[in-house]
Amino acid sequence: MSTDGTVDGVVGIFRRVLESDRVQPDSDFFELGGDSLLATRVLSAIAREFGPELTLADIIDAPSPLALAKLIEGVAA
Amino acid sequence: MSVVVVGAGLAGLTAATELAARGIEVTVLEARDRVGGRTHGIEVAPGQWADAGAAYLGARHTELKSLIARLGLATVPTTMEGRSRFSVGGGPQTVDGRFPPLNAIALGGLFEQLDEVTKAVRQDAPWLTADAERLDRLTAAEWIERQVPHPDARLFFPLFLGEMMAADPADVSVLHMAFYLCSGGGIRYLNAFQGGAQEERVDGGAHRLSELLAAKLGDRVLLGHPVRAVEQTGDRLRVHSDRGVHEGEAVVVALPPLLADTIEYRPGLPVPRSSQATGRGCAVKVQLVYPEPLWREHGLSGWSVSSDGPLLSTVDDSPPGGVGILTGFVTGSEARSFAALDGPSARQAVLDQTRRLFPQLPDPIGYHVTDWISDEYSRGCYAALFGPGDWLTAGPHLTTPHGGVHWAGTETSTEFFGLMEGAIRSGRRAAEEITGS
Repeated sequence: MSTDGTVDGVVGIFRRVLESDRVQPDSDFFELGGDSLLATRVLSAIAREFGPELTLADIIDAPSPLALAKLIEGVAA
Repeated sequence: MSVVVVGAGLAGLTAATELAARGIEVTVLEARDRVGGRTHGIEVAPGQWADAGAAYLGARHTELKSLIARLGLATVPTTMEGRSRFSVGGGPQTVDGRFPPLNAIALGGLFEQLDEVTKAVRQDAPWLTADAERLDRLTAAEWIERQVPHPDARLFFPLFLGEMMAADPADVSVLHMAFYLCSGGGIRYLNAFQGGAQEERVDGGAHRLSELLAAKLGDRVLLGHPVRAVEQTGDRLRVHSDRGVHEGEAVVVALPPLLADTIEYRPGLPVPRSSQATGRGCAVKVQLVYPEPLWREHGLSGWSVSSDGPLLSTVDDSPPGGVGILTGFVTGSEARSFAALDGPSARQAVLDQTRRLFPQLPDPIGYHVTDWISDEYSRGCYAALFGPGDWLTAGPHLTTPHGGVHWAGTETSTEFFGLMEGAIRSGRRAAEEITGS
Protein backbone atom coordinates (compact mmCIF):
# COMPACT_ATOMS: atom_id res chain seq x y z
CA MET A 1 0.00 0.00 0.00
CA SER A 2 1.25 3.51 -0.76
CA THR A 3 2.02 5.87 2.12
CA ASP A 4 -0.95 7.98 0.96
CA GLY A 5 -3.19 4.97 1.31
CA THR A 6 -1.85 4.27 4.78
CA VAL A 7 -2.34 7.91 5.82
CA ASP A 8 -5.93 7.81 4.56
CA GLY A 9 -6.48 4.58 6.43
CA VAL A 10 -5.19 6.03 9.71
CA VAL A 11 -7.24 9.21 9.19
CA GLY A 12 -10.28 6.94 8.83
CA ILE A 13 -9.43 5.11 12.05
CA PHE A 14 -8.96 8.42 13.92
CA ARG A 15 -12.30 9.73 12.61
CA ARG A 16 -14.16 6.62 13.67
CA VAL A 17 -12.55 6.36 17.11
CA LEU A 18 -12.69 10.11 17.88
CA GLU A 19 -16.13 10.41 16.28
CA SER A 20 -14.90 13.55 14.55
CA ASP A 21 -14.80 14.69 10.92
CA ARG A 22 -12.13 17.25 11.78
CA VAL A 23 -9.25 14.77 11.56
CA GLN A 24 -6.58 15.74 9.00
CA PRO A 25 -3.31 13.94 8.17
CA ASP A 26 -1.39 16.26 10.50
CA SER A 27 -3.97 16.33 13.35
CA ASP A 28 -2.76 15.51 16.85
CA PHE A 29 -4.77 12.61 18.30
CA PHE A 30 -4.61 13.89 21.86
CA GLU A 31 -5.49 17.48 20.91
CA LEU A 32 -8.66 16.16 19.28
CA GLY A 33 -9.78 14.57 22.54
CA GLY A 34 -7.98 11.25 22.30
CA ASP A 35 -7.02 9.54 25.56
CA SER A 36 -5.29 6.29 26.39
CA LEU A 37 -8.46 4.21 26.10
CA LEU A 38 -9.15 5.55 22.60
CA ALA A 39 -5.45 5.22 21.72
CA THR A 40 -5.61 1.45 22.37
CA ARG A 41 -8.53 1.25 19.97
CA VAL A 42 -6.40 2.96 17.32
CA LEU A 43 -3.55 0.50 17.98
CA SER A 44 -5.94 -2.41 17.70
CA ALA A 45 -7.39 -1.09 14.43
CA ILE A 46 -3.91 -0.46 12.98
CA ALA A 47 -2.85 -4.01 13.84
CA ARG A 48 -6.05 -5.35 12.27
CA GLU A 49 -5.89 -3.27 9.09
CA PHE A 50 -2.14 -2.94 8.46
CA GLY A 51 -0.46 -5.64 10.54
CA PRO A 52 2.15 -3.81 12.64
CA GLU A 53 1.66 -3.93 16.40
CA LEU A 54 2.49 -0.46 17.65
CA THR A 55 2.57 0.63 21.30
CA LEU A 56 1.02 3.42 23.37
CA ALA A 57 4.48 5.04 23.40
CA ASP A 58 4.43 5.07 19.59
CA ILE A 59 1.18 6.99 19.37
CA ILE A 60 2.35 9.41 22.06
CA ASP A 61 5.54 10.06 20.07
CA ALA A 62 3.77 10.03 16.69
CA PRO A 63 0.27 11.32 17.39
CA SER A 64 -0.75 12.24 13.81
CA PRO A 65 -1.95 9.97 10.98
CA LEU A 66 1.04 11.14 8.92
CA ALA A 67 3.57 10.20 11.59
CA LEU A 68 1.84 6.92 12.40
CA ALA A 69 1.69 6.01 8.69
CA LYS A 70 5.48 6.47 8.46
CA LEU A 71 5.88 4.19 11.45
CA ILE A 72 3.55 1.59 9.95
CA GLU A 73 5.40 1.69 6.61
CA GLY A 74 8.73 1.51 8.44
CA VAL A 75 7.69 -1.57 10.40
CA ALA A 76 6.05 -3.18 7.38
CA ALA A 77 9.02 -2.49 5.07
CA MET B 1 -53.95 17.71 44.84
CA SER B 2 -51.76 15.61 47.13
CA VAL B 3 -48.98 13.16 46.26
CA VAL B 4 -47.10 10.66 48.40
CA VAL B 5 -43.47 10.08 47.42
CA VAL B 6 -41.81 6.87 48.57
CA GLY B 7 -38.05 7.23 48.99
CA ALA B 8 -35.99 10.31 49.86
CA GLY B 9 -33.06 9.74 47.56
CA LEU B 10 -32.23 12.20 44.79
CA ALA B 11 -35.07 10.91 42.58
CA GLY B 12 -37.81 11.13 45.22
CA LEU B 13 -36.66 14.47 46.59
CA THR B 14 -36.43 15.92 43.07
CA ALA B 15 -39.96 14.74 42.29
CA ALA B 16 -41.27 16.12 45.61
CA THR B 17 -39.51 19.46 45.08
CA GLU B 18 -40.93 19.82 41.55
CA LEU B 19 -44.44 18.91 42.70
CA ALA B 20 -44.30 21.25 45.69
CA ALA B 21 -43.17 24.06 43.40
CA ARG B 22 -46.40 23.58 41.43
CA GLY B 23 -48.50 23.96 44.57
CA ILE B 24 -49.09 20.27 45.13
CA GLU B 25 -49.21 18.95 48.67
CA VAL B 26 -46.44 16.36 49.04
CA THR B 27 -45.41 13.88 51.70
CA VAL B 28 -42.11 12.03 51.35
CA LEU B 29 -41.85 8.71 53.19
CA GLU B 30 -38.31 7.52 53.85
CA ALA B 31 -37.49 4.18 55.47
CA ARG B 32 -34.11 5.18 56.84
CA ASP B 33 -33.30 7.73 59.50
CA ARG B 34 -31.52 9.79 56.86
CA VAL B 35 -32.19 11.11 53.38
CA GLY B 36 -29.94 10.65 50.35
CA GLY B 37 -30.44 7.00 49.35
CA ARG B 38 -27.37 5.83 47.51
CA THR B 39 -25.52 9.04 48.34
CA HIS B 40 -24.11 9.09 51.84
CA GLY B 41 -21.50 11.21 53.58
CA ILE B 42 -18.95 10.12 56.16
CA GLU B 43 -17.27 12.83 58.23
CA VAL B 44 -13.70 11.52 58.15
CA ALA B 45 -12.25 14.56 59.95
CA PRO B 46 -13.98 17.58 61.47
CA GLY B 47 -15.84 19.29 58.61
CA GLN B 48 -14.31 16.98 55.99
CA TRP B 49 -16.54 14.53 54.22
CA ALA B 50 -16.04 11.46 52.08
CA ASP B 51 -18.63 10.14 49.66
CA ALA B 52 -19.51 6.63 50.79
CA GLY B 53 -21.94 6.34 47.88
CA ALA B 54 -22.33 8.14 44.55
CA ALA B 55 -19.65 10.77 44.19
CA TYR B 56 -18.67 11.84 40.68
CA LEU B 57 -20.08 13.97 37.93
CA GLY B 58 -19.11 15.40 34.58
CA ALA B 59 -20.13 18.21 32.23
CA ARG B 60 -22.81 16.13 30.53
CA HIS B 61 -24.65 15.74 33.84
CA THR B 62 -26.55 18.91 33.16
CA GLU B 63 -29.47 18.41 35.57
CA LEU B 64 -27.10 17.60 38.41
CA LYS B 65 -24.91 20.59 37.64
CA SER B 66 -27.88 22.92 37.62
CA LEU B 67 -29.17 21.44 40.90
CA ILE B 68 -25.74 21.96 42.48
CA ALA B 69 -25.83 25.60 41.37
CA ARG B 70 -29.42 26.13 42.54
CA LEU B 71 -28.61 24.77 45.97
CA GLY B 72 -25.58 27.04 46.28
CA LEU B 73 -23.15 24.12 46.39
CA ALA B 74 -19.80 23.96 44.62
CA THR B 75 -17.80 21.22 42.93
CA VAL B 76 -14.17 20.22 43.31
CA PRO B 77 -12.14 18.71 40.48
CA THR B 78 -10.92 15.14 40.89
CA THR B 79 -7.13 15.01 40.81
CA MET B 80 -5.30 12.50 38.69
CA GLU B 81 -1.78 13.93 38.54
CA GLY B 82 1.18 11.65 38.95
CA ARG B 83 1.97 8.03 38.32
CA SER B 84 -0.30 5.05 38.88
CA ARG B 85 0.19 1.76 40.66
CA PHE B 86 -0.89 -1.49 39.05
CA SER B 87 -1.04 -5.06 40.26
CA VAL B 88 -2.45 -6.92 37.28
CA GLY B 89 -0.86 -10.34 37.05
CA GLY B 90 2.63 -10.00 38.56
CA GLY B 91 3.83 -7.78 41.40
CA PRO B 92 2.81 -4.16 41.87
CA GLN B 93 4.44 -1.69 39.53
CA THR B 94 4.48 2.05 38.95
CA VAL B 95 3.40 3.32 35.55
CA ASP B 96 3.04 6.75 33.93
CA GLY B 97 -0.56 7.71 33.25
CA ARG B 98 -3.69 5.74 34.04
CA PHE B 99 -3.37 2.85 31.65
CA PRO B 100 -2.60 -0.66 32.97
CA PRO B 101 0.60 -2.42 31.88
CA LEU B 102 -1.26 -4.99 29.81
CA ASN B 103 -1.23 -5.70 26.08
CA ALA B 104 -2.57 -2.42 24.68
CA ILE B 105 -3.68 -3.95 21.38
CA ALA B 106 -5.64 -6.67 23.19
CA LEU B 107 -7.32 -4.09 25.42
CA GLY B 108 -7.95 -1.90 22.39
CA GLY B 109 -9.63 -4.86 20.71
CA LEU B 110 -11.84 -5.31 23.76
CA PHE B 111 -12.79 -1.63 23.73
CA GLU B 112 -13.52 -1.81 19.99
CA GLN B 113 -15.92 -4.69 20.61
CA LEU B 114 -17.52 -2.94 23.58
CA ASP B 115 -17.90 0.23 21.55
CA GLU B 116 -19.55 -1.69 18.73
CA VAL B 117 -22.13 -3.39 20.95
CA THR B 118 -22.70 -0.13 22.85
CA LYS B 119 -23.41 1.78 19.64
CA ALA B 120 -25.82 -0.92 18.45
CA VAL B 121 -28.19 -0.55 21.42
CA ARG B 122 -31.43 1.46 21.26
CA GLN B 123 -30.81 3.66 24.29
CA ASP B 124 -34.37 4.96 24.60
CA ALA B 125 -35.84 1.45 24.36
CA PRO B 126 -33.21 -1.29 24.71
CA TRP B 127 -35.80 -4.03 24.16
CA LEU B 128 -36.24 -2.72 20.59
CA THR B 129 -32.53 -3.11 19.79
CA ALA B 130 -31.88 -5.21 16.69
CA ASP B 131 -31.06 -8.71 17.94
CA ALA B 132 -32.39 -7.76 21.40
CA GLU B 133 -33.52 -11.28 22.24
CA ARG B 134 -30.10 -12.79 21.73
CA LEU B 135 -28.30 -9.95 23.54
CA ASP B 136 -30.77 -10.17 26.43
CA ARG B 137 -30.23 -13.92 26.83
CA LEU B 138 -26.44 -13.83 26.74
CA THR B 139 -24.48 -12.82 29.86
CA ALA B 140 -21.46 -10.54 29.56
CA ALA B 141 -19.36 -13.49 30.84
CA GLU B 142 -20.52 -15.65 27.94
CA TRP B 143 -19.95 -12.77 25.54
CA ILE B 144 -16.31 -12.23 26.54
CA GLU B 145 -15.72 -15.98 26.35
CA ARG B 146 -16.89 -16.01 22.73
CA GLN B 147 -15.65 -12.64 21.50
CA VAL B 148 -12.33 -11.94 23.17
CA PRO B 149 -9.56 -14.55 23.23
CA HIS B 150 -6.59 -12.59 24.63
CA PRO B 151 -5.82 -13.35 28.31
CA ASP B 152 -4.98 -9.70 29.09
CA ALA B 153 -8.37 -8.57 27.80
CA ARG B 154 -10.08 -11.31 29.80
CA LEU B 155 -8.19 -10.31 32.93
CA PHE B 156 -9.10 -6.66 32.46
CA PHE B 157 -12.75 -7.07 31.46
CA PRO B 158 -14.20 -7.85 34.94
CA LEU B 159 -12.16 -5.01 36.42
CA PHE B 160 -13.51 -2.63 33.80
CA LEU B 161 -17.10 -3.76 34.20
CA GLY B 162 -16.76 -3.60 37.98
CA GLU B 163 -15.54 -0.05 37.78
CA MET B 164 -18.07 1.07 35.19
CA MET B 165 -21.20 -0.57 36.58
CA ALA B 166 -20.37 -2.54 39.75
CA ALA B 167 -21.18 -5.77 37.99
CA ASP B 168 -19.59 -9.16 37.68
CA PRO B 169 -19.76 -10.22 33.99
CA ALA B 170 -21.90 -13.23 34.94
CA ASP B 171 -24.52 -10.94 36.54
CA VAL B 172 -25.60 -8.88 33.54
CA SER B 173 -26.94 -9.53 30.08
CA VAL B 174 -24.99 -8.18 27.13
CA LEU B 175 -28.00 -5.99 26.38
CA HIS B 176 -27.80 -4.44 29.85
CA MET B 177 -24.04 -3.96 29.66
CA ALA B 178 -24.35 -2.29 26.27
CA PHE B 179 -27.28 -0.16 27.41
CA TYR B 180 -25.53 0.92 30.62
CA LEU B 181 -22.38 1.97 28.77
CA CYS B 182 -24.44 3.76 26.12
CA SER B 183 -26.68 5.47 28.66
CA GLY B 184 -23.70 6.86 30.55
CA GLY B 185 -22.24 8.44 27.41
CA GLY B 186 -20.12 5.61 25.98
CA ILE B 187 -17.04 3.83 27.27
CA ARG B 188 -14.64 6.74 26.87
CA TYR B 189 -16.88 9.21 28.71
CA LEU B 190 -17.80 6.79 31.49
CA ASN B 191 -14.18 5.77 32.01
CA ALA B 192 -12.60 9.23 31.94
CA PHE B 193 -11.91 11.50 34.88
CA GLN B 194 -10.90 14.71 33.09
CA GLY B 195 -13.41 15.29 30.30
CA GLY B 196 -15.52 12.40 31.54
CA ALA B 197 -18.03 11.23 34.12
CA GLN B 198 -15.55 11.49 37.02
CA GLU B 199 -14.43 15.05 36.39
CA GLU B 200 -15.73 16.55 39.64
CA ARG B 201 -17.22 15.82 43.06
CA VAL B 202 -19.69 17.82 45.10
CA ASP B 203 -17.79 19.97 47.59
CA GLY B 204 -18.71 18.74 51.06
CA GLY B 205 -20.20 15.50 49.71
CA ALA B 206 -22.97 14.48 47.30
CA HIS B 207 -25.28 13.76 50.24
CA ARG B 208 -25.54 17.54 50.72
CA LEU B 209 -27.81 17.70 47.66
CA SER B 210 -30.45 15.55 49.32
CA GLU B 211 -29.99 17.20 52.70
CA LEU B 212 -30.59 20.64 51.25
CA LEU B 213 -33.57 19.49 49.17
CA ALA B 214 -35.04 17.82 52.26
CA ALA B 215 -34.43 20.92 54.39
CA LYS B 216 -36.51 22.99 51.95
CA LEU B 217 -39.30 20.43 52.09
CA GLY B 218 -39.13 20.56 55.91
CA ASP B 219 -41.69 18.50 57.79
CA ARG B 220 -43.06 17.11 54.55
CA VAL B 221 -40.20 14.57 54.69
CA LEU B 222 -40.89 11.78 57.19
CA LEU B 223 -37.92 9.60 58.19
CA GLY B 224 -38.27 6.10 59.65
CA HIS B 225 -41.38 5.39 57.55
CA PRO B 226 -40.74 2.15 55.64
CA VAL B 227 -43.57 1.57 53.19
CA ARG B 228 -45.15 -1.88 53.05
CA ALA B 229 -48.18 -1.51 50.77
CA VAL B 230 -49.78 0.78 48.21
CA GLU B 231 -53.51 0.38 47.81
CA GLN B 232 -55.64 1.98 45.07
CA THR B 233 -59.38 2.40 45.26
CA GLY B 234 -60.92 4.57 42.59
CA ASP B 235 -58.96 7.81 42.49
CA ARG B 236 -57.53 7.47 45.99
CA LEU B 237 -54.27 5.84 46.90
CA ARG B 238 -53.40 4.71 50.40
CA VAL B 239 -49.76 4.19 51.29
CA HIS B 240 -49.21 1.98 54.32
CA SER B 241 -46.01 2.57 56.23
CA ASP B 242 -44.94 1.13 59.58
CA ARG B 243 -46.05 4.41 61.15
CA GLY B 244 -49.47 4.83 59.58
CA VAL B 245 -51.44 5.42 56.41
CA HIS B 246 -50.89 8.34 54.02
CA GLU B 247 -53.40 9.19 51.33
CA GLY B 248 -52.95 10.91 48.01
CA GLU B 249 -54.26 11.13 44.48
CA ALA B 250 -50.94 9.89 43.13
CA VAL B 251 -47.87 8.10 44.44
CA VAL B 252 -44.29 8.26 43.23
CA VAL B 253 -42.30 5.15 44.07
CA ALA B 254 -38.71 6.36 43.85
CA LEU B 255 -36.93 3.14 44.76
CA PRO B 256 -34.55 0.72 43.05
CA PRO B 257 -36.46 -2.13 41.31
CA LEU B 258 -35.51 -4.81 43.86
CA LEU B 259 -36.75 -2.60 46.69
CA ALA B 260 -39.89 -1.47 44.86
CA ASP B 261 -40.82 -5.14 44.55
CA THR B 262 -40.82 -5.59 48.35
CA ILE B 263 -43.92 -3.35 48.50
CA GLU B 264 -47.30 -5.00 48.16
CA TYR B 265 -49.43 -3.34 45.48
CA ARG B 266 -53.22 -3.69 45.54
CA PRO B 267 -54.20 -4.28 42.77
CA GLY B 268 -50.97 -6.09 41.91
CA LEU B 269 -48.48 -5.03 39.26
CA PRO B 270 -49.05 -6.65 35.87
CA VAL B 271 -45.28 -7.20 35.58
CA PRO B 272 -42.85 -7.20 38.53
CA ARG B 273 -40.10 -4.59 38.39
CA SER B 274 -37.38 -7.20 38.85
CA SER B 275 -36.89 -10.95 38.49
CA GLN B 276 -34.81 -13.80 39.88
CA ALA B 277 -32.15 -12.73 37.36
CA THR B 278 -32.00 -9.13 38.63
CA GLY B 279 -28.90 -8.61 40.75
CA ARG B 280 -27.84 -6.12 43.36
CA GLY B 281 -25.19 -3.70 42.17
CA CYS B 282 -22.07 -5.17 43.72
CA ALA B 283 -20.18 -2.30 45.31
CA VAL B 284 -18.41 -1.92 48.62
CA LYS B 285 -16.62 1.37 49.10
CA VAL B 286 -13.62 1.61 51.41
CA GLN B 287 -12.25 4.94 52.50
CA LEU B 288 -8.70 5.15 53.83
CA VAL B 289 -7.83 8.37 55.63
CA TYR B 290 -4.29 9.79 55.85
CA PRO B 291 -3.07 12.96 57.60
CA GLU B 292 -2.69 14.43 54.10
CA PRO B 293 -2.50 13.06 50.52
CA LEU B 294 0.92 11.52 51.24
CA TRP B 295 1.11 9.64 47.93
CA ARG B 296 1.50 12.94 46.09
CA GLU B 297 4.95 13.46 47.71
CA HIS B 298 5.98 10.24 46.00
CA GLY B 299 4.78 11.41 42.58
CA LEU B 300 1.75 9.12 42.73
CA SER B 301 -1.80 10.03 41.78
CA GLY B 302 -3.40 7.58 44.21
CA TRP B 303 -4.92 5.77 41.22
CA SER B 304 -4.33 2.05 41.29
CA VAL B 305 -5.83 -1.04 39.71
CA SER B 306 -5.37 -4.51 41.18
CA SER B 307 -6.71 -7.77 39.88
CA ASP B 308 -5.89 -9.45 43.21
CA GLY B 309 -8.14 -7.21 45.35
CA PRO B 310 -9.86 -6.63 47.58
CA LEU B 311 -9.58 -2.98 46.42
CA LEU B 312 -9.83 -3.35 42.63
CA SER B 313 -9.10 0.32 42.20
CA THR B 314 -8.22 3.31 44.35
CA VAL B 315 -8.83 7.00 43.67
CA ASP B 316 -7.61 10.17 45.39
CA ASP B 317 -10.78 11.73 46.83
CA SER B 318 -9.03 14.15 49.18
CA PRO B 319 -10.82 17.40 49.93
CA PRO B 320 -8.72 20.42 48.87
CA GLY B 321 -6.28 21.41 51.61
CA GLY B 322 -7.51 18.70 53.97
CA VAL B 323 -6.79 15.14 54.96
CA GLY B 324 -5.84 12.53 52.40
CA ILE B 325 -8.62 10.20 51.33
CA LEU B 326 -7.99 7.17 49.17
CA THR B 327 -11.27 5.65 48.07
CA GLY B 328 -11.07 1.96 47.30
CA PHE B 329 -13.65 0.29 45.08
CA VAL B 330 -14.51 -3.33 45.70
CA THR B 331 -16.88 -4.43 42.97
CA GLY B 332 -18.38 -7.43 41.23
CA SER B 333 -17.64 -10.91 42.61
CA GLU B 334 -14.79 -9.48 44.71
CA ALA B 335 -17.38 -7.34 46.54
CA ARG B 336 -19.48 -10.38 47.36
CA SER B 337 -16.57 -12.24 48.96
CA PHE B 338 -15.32 -9.08 50.70
CA ALA B 339 -18.77 -8.35 52.13
CA ALA B 340 -18.87 -11.88 53.55
CA LEU B 341 -15.70 -11.32 55.64
CA ASP B 342 -16.00 -10.31 59.28
CA GLY B 343 -14.90 -6.74 60.10
CA PRO B 344 -11.36 -7.50 61.36
CA SER B 345 -10.57 -9.89 58.48
CA ALA B 346 -11.79 -7.37 55.91
CA ARG B 347 -9.68 -4.64 57.50
CA GLN B 348 -6.61 -6.88 57.58
CA ALA B 349 -7.07 -7.79 53.90
CA VAL B 350 -7.22 -4.10 52.99
CA LEU B 351 -4.17 -3.23 55.10
CA ASP B 352 -2.17 -6.13 53.64
CA GLN B 353 -3.04 -4.93 50.17
CA THR B 354 -2.26 -1.26 50.75
CA ARG B 355 1.10 -2.18 52.30
CA ARG B 356 1.96 -4.11 49.11
CA LEU B 357 0.51 -1.55 46.75
CA PHE B 358 1.74 1.62 48.48
CA PRO B 359 4.80 0.54 50.50
CA GLN B 360 5.82 4.23 50.71
CA LEU B 361 2.75 5.06 52.81
CA PRO B 362 2.16 4.53 56.52
CA ASP B 363 -1.02 2.70 57.50
CA PRO B 364 -4.08 4.94 57.27
CA ILE B 365 -5.30 6.78 60.37
CA GLY B 366 -8.93 6.14 59.44
CA TYR B 367 -10.73 3.24 57.80
CA HIS B 368 -14.39 3.25 56.71
CA VAL B 369 -16.31 0.53 54.90
CA THR B 370 -19.69 1.01 53.24
CA ASP B 371 -21.31 -2.21 52.09
CA TRP B 372 -24.09 -1.39 49.65
CA ILE B 373 -24.80 -5.01 48.71
CA SER B 374 -26.13 -5.88 52.15
CA ASP B 375 -27.92 -2.55 52.64
CA GLU B 376 -31.59 -3.36 53.24
CA TYR B 377 -32.89 -0.07 51.86
CA SER B 378 -30.72 0.13 48.74
CA ARG B 379 -30.17 -3.51 47.86
CA GLY B 380 -27.11 -2.80 45.81
CA CYS B 381 -25.21 0.10 44.30
CA TYR B 382 -24.51 1.71 41.84
CA ALA B 383 -27.74 0.31 40.39
CA ALA B 384 -29.78 -2.83 39.83
CA LEU B 385 -28.04 -5.31 37.54
CA PHE B 386 -30.42 -6.48 34.82
CA GLY B 387 -29.71 -10.13 34.15
CA PRO B 388 -30.79 -12.32 31.25
CA GLY B 389 -34.42 -11.67 30.31
CA ASP B 390 -34.87 -8.53 32.39
CA TRP B 391 -34.81 -5.90 29.67
CA LEU B 392 -37.28 -7.73 27.47
CA THR B 393 -39.64 -8.55 30.34
CA ALA B 394 -39.52 -5.67 32.81
CA GLY B 395 -37.79 -3.06 30.62
CA PRO B 396 -40.82 -1.91 28.60
CA HIS B 397 -42.78 -1.26 31.83
CA LEU B 398 -40.17 0.59 33.87
CA THR B 399 -41.82 3.99 33.50
CA THR B 400 -45.40 2.91 32.79
CA PRO B 401 -47.68 4.22 35.58
CA HIS B 402 -49.68 1.58 37.44
CA GLY B 403 -52.94 3.47 37.86
CA GLY B 404 -51.93 6.36 40.10
CA VAL B 405 -48.51 4.91 40.91
CA HIS B 406 -45.64 6.58 39.08
CA TRP B 407 -42.08 5.35 39.01
CA ALA B 408 -38.82 7.19 39.60
CA GLY B 409 -35.27 6.23 40.51
CA THR B 410 -32.14 6.14 38.41
CA GLU B 411 -33.13 2.74 36.96
CA THR B 412 -36.15 4.39 35.31
CA SER B 413 -33.99 6.83 33.36
CA THR B 414 -32.63 5.69 30.03
CA GLU B 415 -30.29 8.68 30.20
CA PHE B 416 -27.45 8.24 32.68
CA PHE B 417 -28.97 5.08 34.17
CA GLY B 418 -27.32 4.25 37.48
CA LEU B 419 -25.95 7.73 38.05
CA MET B 420 -27.13 10.72 40.12
CA GLU B 421 -27.98 12.46 36.84
CA GLY B 422 -30.37 9.64 35.95
CA ALA B 423 -32.03 9.86 39.36
CA ILE B 424 -32.69 13.58 39.00
CA ARG B 425 -34.01 13.20 35.45
CA SER B 426 -36.34 10.42 36.61
CA GLY B 427 -37.72 12.55 39.44
CA ARG B 428 -38.47 15.40 37.05
CA ARG B 429 -40.12 13.03 34.59
CA ALA B 430 -42.36 11.52 37.27
CA ALA B 431 -43.41 14.98 38.46
CA GLU B 432 -44.20 16.01 34.89
CA GLU B 433 -46.32 12.89 34.39
CA ILE B 434 -48.41 13.83 37.40
CA THR B 435 -48.83 17.51 36.64
CA GLY B 436 -49.15 16.99 32.90
CA SER B 437 -46.54 19.65 32.14
